[in-house]
Amino acid sequence: MKFQFDSFQQMMEMAGHGPYVWTAVLVSLLVMGWLLVRPLQLHRANLKSIARQLRREQRRRGAGEEKQ
Amino acid sequence: MASNRDWTWFYRLGSPRWFYETTGRWLPWLWTLTLLLLTTGLVWGLGYAPQDAKQGNSFRIIYLHVPVSFLALAGYYLMAIAGAIGLIWKMKLSYMVMKSAAPIGAALTFLALFTGAVWGKPTWGTYWVWDARITSMLILLFLYLGVLALQYAFHSQESGNKASAILALVGTVNIPIIYKSVDWWYTLHQPATIKLTSAPSMHIDMFQPLLMMIIALYCFYALALILFTRAEILQRERKAAWVCELALQADKVAAWEAEE
Repeated sequence: MKFQFDSFQQMMEMAGHGPYVWTAVLVSLLVMGWLLVRPLQLHRANLKSIARQLRREQRRRGAGEEKQ
Repeated sequence: MASNRDWTWFYRLGSPRWFYETTGRWLPWLWTLTLLLLTTGLVWGLGYAPQDAKQGNSFRIIYLHVPVSFLALAGYYLMAIAGAIGLIWKMKLSYMVMKSAAPIGAALTFLALFTGAVWGKPTWGTYWVWDARITSMLILLFLYLGVLALQYAFHSQESGNKASAILALVGTVNIPIIYKSVDWWYTLHQPATIKLTSAPSMHIDMFQPLLMMIIALYCFYALALILFTRAEILQRERKAAWVCELALQADKVAAWEAEE
């Protein structure tokens, strides 16, 4: 097994096919990266919103008790 | 943890909490495996695999195009089966998996079309042709988007789940059409590179990195599906005690980190 390109420039150019190959790679990595980052964002946002709601309910309950 | 005594394995499998906790233990391994396989497979395919005698270097796109297309199709089966299980057994978790599979499938189908287009230009001289394979893949993209859209089209989650599941099931007729399109019609698209029933039609030095990329994409798919499903579980089970506890714990950790 041997590396197919002699220089970095040659690897970028790929004898004329470079733009096609690297566009495919770049777009794929971006989309796939999004598929991993997006659910993590949703996960964190959901936890935050649940905690916020719980605190709000707690405060409301606390205020209700004081009135009595 | 719930005790085993009155739970069958099937219902435990359907428990969002069980799913959340179990996959939580798998995640570090799955992340490592996925990133390792993807990096190795890509470097191998892009740098070390010999170039194709006819197509030159443009054929290297195969290392993304084929694995991504594989999973776009396999993911549709998974989504439809999850929908069917939801319809038959009214399993909540199953609907969550179905919904999570939709954006992943749509993104992978888009990638299959995109990588196909940039491969088509240097090989066929055009980015796009309305041939059977490509058109049926475009329909697959719309099916995924349809399933996703139906989730938000109803006031009740229940109705959205049922509608999505039914569309997903009806859409499965498209899958064999996609597979067979290269045999049934005259198309520009080349026939399948890999068949289970025969030896691969490519040289072993080209085939090994492809196989690695396919395995990598399966791992990637599992990882993405688990991550989306976990987020969905929190969303839909926000009233459950264990989710509340989890949220408060995360809140406390965030507060500590803010103080430091």
